[in-house]
Amino acid sequence: MPDFLPLAGGAWPQLTRAAGAGMAHAMSEVAHSHPGPALLAHEARVTYGPVPRELAGQAMPPGSMLLEGEQFLLRTMTGYGLYYRKGAGVTVERDAGADPVEESLWLNGSTYAAIAAIHGYLPFHASAVVWQGRAYAFTGPSGAGKSTLAAALGRHGLPLLCDDTMVLDVADPARILCLPGHKRLKLTEHALALTGAQREEKVAPMVDKHYAKPPGGILREVVPLARLTFLEEGEGVQFAPITGGDRIARLNDDHYTGELYSMACGDGLAERFARIARIAGHVRKDRLTRPRDPAQFDEIAAMIAARIKAEPSS
Amino acid sequence: MTEPLVKRPAAFSETAIDGEVVLLNLADGTFFSLTGTAAEIWPLIDGSRTRDTLLADLAESHGEEPAAIAAELDVFLAQLAGAGFVSGV
Repeated sequence: MPDFLPLAGGAWPQLTRAAGAGMAHAMSEVAHSHPGPALLAHEARVTYGPVPRELAGQAMPPGSMLLEGEQFLLRTMTGYGLYYRKGAGVTVERDAGADPVEESLWLNGSTYAAIAAIHGYLPFHASAVVWQGRAYAFTGPSGAGKSTLAAALGRHGLPLLCDDTMVLDVADPARILCLPGHKRLKLTEHALALTGAQREEKVAPMVDKHYAKPPGGILREVVPLARLTFLEEGEGVQFAPITGGDRIARLNDDHYTGELYSMACGDGLAERFARIARIAGHVRKDRLTRPRDPAQFDEIAAMIAARIKAEPSS
Repeated sequence: MTEPLVKRPAAFSETAIDGEVVLLNLADGTFFSLTGTAAEIWPLIDGSRTRDTLLADLAESHGEEPAAIAAELDVFLAQLAGAGFVSGV
């Protein structure tokens, strides 16, 4: 029987708009010459003042977000407005009753992702660590264990590159680069206990996580992406390559970061599909299925670290 | 069935990866993977073949009698037509 198979994760939302020494030298060049980190840091500078109540002719009530051209406007239900215009930084408006602690969450979440997207970088929902100058990223839905695993790998000598949002330079699909993270590591109480990460202040009154210092430190360099692993829960520990159409389907990230990038690119469905297909062919991807059993966590983290360290460097 | 089988390019986008053909339905955002014989048949739907001539070509290339593979081919073509990707089925 000819196989005509619907792919899981295929339903896309309707978009309202759309070493050796030689390698070390090349990687060093990337790390020190890439304009992305400095550019995005500059563009994310904040001033305080009123933000628009509409964008591109669309009313923007509280609880709405829109990226249009080179502008982004977010108005939250909690009294915040954040407005970014390319080249002009971020204007933050905060109502009298709004919690000041939330400001960094909104700035480092949707707003930073929008800034990255407007500048042509792809924000992706993942956490990543680094080994021998290459990024190993972990993705999955919220609660899949990305941050916890990335923190734990630090105890095996793999420093953290980014947590929760990975900003990618995909200008050359054959050599995708990961920018250093802009967010602090955030872990639940349970994850702090599992990973031994150093607890810092609570993220926000309504967020059940603490900021944390990664056990393996943080690397603030631009590095090539080596592998993207999708975290899943299952009875046994199993790595499986992702092949065929699934390589494309799994990059169809329905996280808000993917939506923002499509808005910035002006993608329709066909354009988004073509873009993802170009990237999919160059990104090594696999699935990691493992039990969410605290008693096995250390062993599994050690296994993953060993696997990363055993990968060939080319 | 004398009408030629024709793809409806406005209905889908396609790409190939790892020997599979991946089709995106532009109407609803769902997508599909064509593997094995489906991936083999897809490029043969080029407007030059009817269902019957496609069946004959496949039977010859696979060393099968047409009757042995007709039902499976018809199911596949119906799936493509149902998704809006092909006319002439």
